[in-house]
Amino acid sequence: MLSLLTEDMFDCITKAQGSIKLEGISFKGGHMKKILILSLACILVFGFMLSCAKKVEEAPPPPPPQVKEQPQVEKVEEAAPPKEPVLTEEEIFMRKSLEEINQEAPLQMIHFDFDRFFIRDDAKPVLEKNATWLKKWNSVQILIEGHCDERGTEEYNLALGEKRAKSTYDYLVSLGISSDRIKTISYGKSQPMDPGHDEMAWAKNRRAQFTIIAK
Amino acid sequence: MKKKEIFFYGSLLLLIALLLPAQQEVYLSIKEGMPAIPLAIPPFIVHETSSKTQEAAEILHQTLASDLQYSRIFQELPKSYYSYIRPLNPQQIFFKDWESIQAKILFVGEVSNDVGNEVIFEGKIYDVKAGRGIFGKRYQAERSLLRFAAHKMADELLRMWGEQPFFTSKIVFASNRDGNWELYMMDYDGHNQTRLTFNRVIDYMPAWSSDGRTIAYTSYQGTDAILYLLQVYEGKRNSVTNRGTSFAPAFSPDGRRLAFCSQEEGGNSEIYMSTSEGKGIRRVTFNKATDTAPTWSPTSRQIAFTSDRGGTPQIYIMDAEGSNVTRVSFGGTYHDAPAWAPTGDRIAYVSRVDQIFDLYVLNLRTKQIIKLTEGNARNESPCWSPDGRHLIFSSNLNGTVQLYSIDYDGRNLRRLTSSGENKLPDWSRQ
Repeated sequence: MLSLLTEDMFDCITKAQGSIKLEGISFKGGHMKKILILSLACILVFGFMLSCAKKVEEAPPPPPPQVKEQPQVEKVEEAAPPKEPVLTEEEIFMRKSLEEINQEAPLQMIHFDFDRFFIRDDAKPVLEKNATWLKKWNSVQILIEGHCDERGTEEYNLALGEKRAKSTYDYLVSLGISSDRIKTISYGKSQPMDPGHDEMAWAKNRRAQFTIIAK
Repeated sequence: MKKKEIFFYGSLLLLIALLLPAQQEVYLSIKEGMPAIPLAIPPFIVHETSSKTQEAAEILHQTLASDLQYSRIFQELPKSYYSYIRPLNPQQIFFKDWESIQAKILFVGEVSNDVGNEVIFEGKIYDVKAGRGIFGKRYQAERSLLRFAAHKMADELLRMWGEQPFFTSKIVFASNRDGNWELYMMDYDGHNQTRLTFNRVIDYMPAWSSDGRTIAYTSYQGTDAILYLLQVYEGKRNSVTNRGTSFAPAFSPDGRRLAFCSQEEGGNSEIYMSTSEGKGIRRVTFNKATDTAPTWSPTSRQIAFTSDRGGTPQIYIMDAEGSNVTRVSFGGTYHDAPAWAPTGDRIAYVSRVDQIFDLYVLNLRTKQIIKLTEGNARNESPCWSPDGRHLIFSSNLNGTVQLYSIDYDGRNLRRLTSSGENKLPDWSRQ
């Protein structure tokens, strides 16, 4: 109750002072004038205090006094943070960087037979899945990288890698992916996935893999 | 008298008869089977007692001696022979002494220290039998350039012998020693390995221009594998083409044209041609099969290349304009990476049998084939020395892929690199 009053009073005083200052500008010099201003200020302050006091009186009556008045414990609760709007899948996708998306590898790589570049039967469902994803995110552009195992010369493997990338490209286009969304490149045998020198490693290295280059 | 005459003509006929069927081989045996010239190259005379000059003389001597030995023209005499005769006095050479240890050529080197860091190296060549000097040269070089000075001297010797000099030539190659594949170059003997590109992307398949100042190579920039031209001594670089995946460049020996591989719209590799600056690109092969790995004949009129138009990769020859295609490799299922020797008569290539890659040399005149390498390894990417007596290639002979040098007849296999993996060498023409 008390604190409420003083707060209000302070409020009133500052308001009053503000008005004095404004008035003070119009007066110039003179002791008497200063006294006059001061007294005027006093009157004004009192006037305001009275009006404030009146307001206080108008406030609802205090609760009945209790035997042992204890300060009421008020639980301090942090204001709830602004709730982020629920993002759509598309918004989440657009927020990610290309690196993040590529790290998630939404497009699965496919593998090839030795010295061949046709799409194997086990690769077709993989490409169909990839095509579905590409249709969902239809602004995405991809790079198909053709890779080979080490059992060919550098030159021959570069040509073979390009053919693998191209047949993958053709298959995706046949599934309805626009050709201007796809680029191809061949790495030959310069970027093996598995550095080994056995059939296991070679089978892994004969592949076409996908990199998202724009979205 | 008559008997003698008959014998004379008879033996002449016999000689002709003997020579005729072997005529084509005679050409080779004269050139290549010629015994090397016995050369005496005693330790160089040092006109100074300082250890630094002594050291310089040793570097010069060792470099020059190994150059001349490598040439296959000269054969260094065993060092022990020098102790059998009087020590060398450059003012008064006892040629009979040198003749007695079977030296045909005597190389006398003298080294003195100029003021500062420079060394003066003088070399004189003597015909031992005639007992006279035939050639002399004097070089002044900084200590860091001693090997270069010795190479220059060795080049002069080859030139004098009517041979193509190559000791100051350079090998460009790709290495992953600093992380990813970048271009490096080195001397023919593996010294002075210097990094050339710093792109942090794959740079490989380099090829020297005929003047040895520009390198064409493939660089993976963004989503393209583009052909670039690097002016080595100017540090300038520009792209030739932004076509998709362009590779395997080869400059014509006359310095006018650049052949390379690139994809036509169907993703199939074809051979293309441009000026040596990369202008005026046009397609040379029109075939559904893969056409790769062009290599020029020394006349710049023909190109050998690999094609699988016959079902398996084989080596073909065509005119530089794309006409008159002839298959030259037979009897295997995988022949690739042809390298046309600067002598014009031979093509080195890779043959794959049961996952083992070996180098072969096909003689275009005799159709004779020599197997160069023998090992359970992948021996790849042969390239010829400017004189056609040596080749450099990559091999995983000892585990990792490294560069090796070998002679035209399969002798003198030596390893040139050891840091990281090293491949795709190309030997400059000068």
